[in-house]
Amino acid sequence: MSDGGLDRGQLGVLPRPVRLADESYLEFLESFRDVLLTQMFPAMAEAGHARLQAAGLPLDDDALPLPTIQREFGKAPIVPSWQRFMRSQQEMMWRRTRASFAATAEAQLDWLAAADGAGPGRLIVDPDFAVPDYARREIHLQPGGYTDDPIGGIVYHYGTKVFYQGGNDQDELHAELVDLTTPPADGRVASVLDLGCSIGQGAIKLKLRFPDAEIWGLDVALPMVRYAHARSAQQQVAVNFIQALAEDMPFADGQFDIVFAYILFHELPIDIIPAVLAQVHRVLRPGGQFVIFEFPSASQHLPPAHRFMIDYDSRDNCEPYSLGFVHADFRGLLAAAGFAVSDGPLSSNGFLQSIVAIRP
Amino acid sequence: MHGEARQPVLMKPAQNPLSIGIEIDGPGRAYFDTVVTDNIIDMMMELAAEVWTVRDRQYVMENVLASQGIDAATLIEAHRPTAEEMAARKLLREAFVARLLAGFLRRANVAEDK
Repeated sequence: MSDGGLDRGQLGVLPRPVRLADESYLEFLESFRDVLLTQMFPAMAEAGHARLQAAGLPLDDDALPLPTIQREFGKAPIVPSWQRFMRSQQEMMWRRTRASFAATAEAQLDWLAAADGAGPGRLIVDPDFAVPDYARREIHLQPGGYTDDPIGGIVYHYGTKVFYQGGNDQDELHAELVDLTTPPADGRVASVLDLGCSIGQGAIKLKLRFPDAEIWGLDVALPMVRYAHARSAQQQVAVNFIQALAEDMPFADGQFDIVFAYILFHELPIDIIPAVLAQVHRVLRPGGQFVIFEFPSASQHLPPAHRFMIDYDSRDNCEPYSLGFVHADFRGLLAAAGFAVSDGPLSSNGFLQSIVAIRP
Repeated sequence: MHGEARQPVLMKPAQNPLSIGIEIDGPGRAYFDTVVTDNIIDMMMELAAEVWTVRDRQYVMENVLASQGIDAATLIEAHRPTAEEMAARKLLREAFVARLLAGFLRRANVAEDK
């Protein structure tokens, strides 16, 4: 087979792997993952719940100890099979995705360098910025994590394409969440922040939703904000991206009308979250809205199968902080930071909670 | 605002090896009483992915040959599938995955307890 075809362009806003063989291999994993989530997880949940009931244990008691759930679930043969498949497909996905784009790493880096100074938006990076150790983890098993692989942006982009089973190829999920983001009560939207923006999919959609507003994307990881900026320049959408810490934001008091955060908080150590919330409260103007789509947290009932899955995901898919988050009273932390907390509109992803927190 | 318009600091290409993952390059995880079972499944998944990759390429090749008939390798990499072709390939792929996983689904919970 040929190793040619190293510039296969894009499918809409999605980059193609550099060889057809990579794309076929990764599409196989995408279909495989779809069965794992849509058929095998429900079958596993049913089997595990049947084991619990056979042992005389309740399904609706949140106090049921996790080790008990793990012990009973572990008796069903589908459970280790599901774990094996989930882990293996994730490893295979990253191995092949990174190998594919690494074949053109020089071209990727040249493209990023050419875009660094390009408009219409700006890329702002402090060369003295120090990435905190807590962020330098291989989250989701991604090689180098968010922070340490120079081509991590495009690798993350295609990796999440597989993660979303093809449902976000054209950033459809981000568009849905941005469409659910409502302006503050007075209707004024002059400035919006996408907090923990990764590769800027939400930030770009926010600009399209609020074209007259100044849009910012902030992330701790340089490979993410560089790729986000290059994408926005490629699409000629004016968004500013900055590498900075959510717990130490270089923005003015009351600068933003809306702060948007999609699945950020379960990636943060729980002891960092109060400082982040204090910063969001500071940079929002009175009446401004903090729009959050996130993992579930304490006070929300989770079936035993979901508790089993979240624990698996934390331990075996390198989500080191998600257990701390799901057991925390996140809404209580928001209230303690001074926000008026209410339920937001639910998205098509029923796993996520939706919160609108208003700065009074 | 600080640091405006400065150039990002990047790792040099020499620090950008083909594989840098600690998680995916290490021993990983084992889930069965014998790790051989984990290994066999890993092998089968890799084999299955490769079988699919070859099949997928064959599919593309046949399309390309039918339309052009020359220089297949170059033509395949240059090929841009139609929406209809992608949908057809997706259906075949999903059927293949369903066959592959059928044994695990039909015997989800029938073995003896550990």
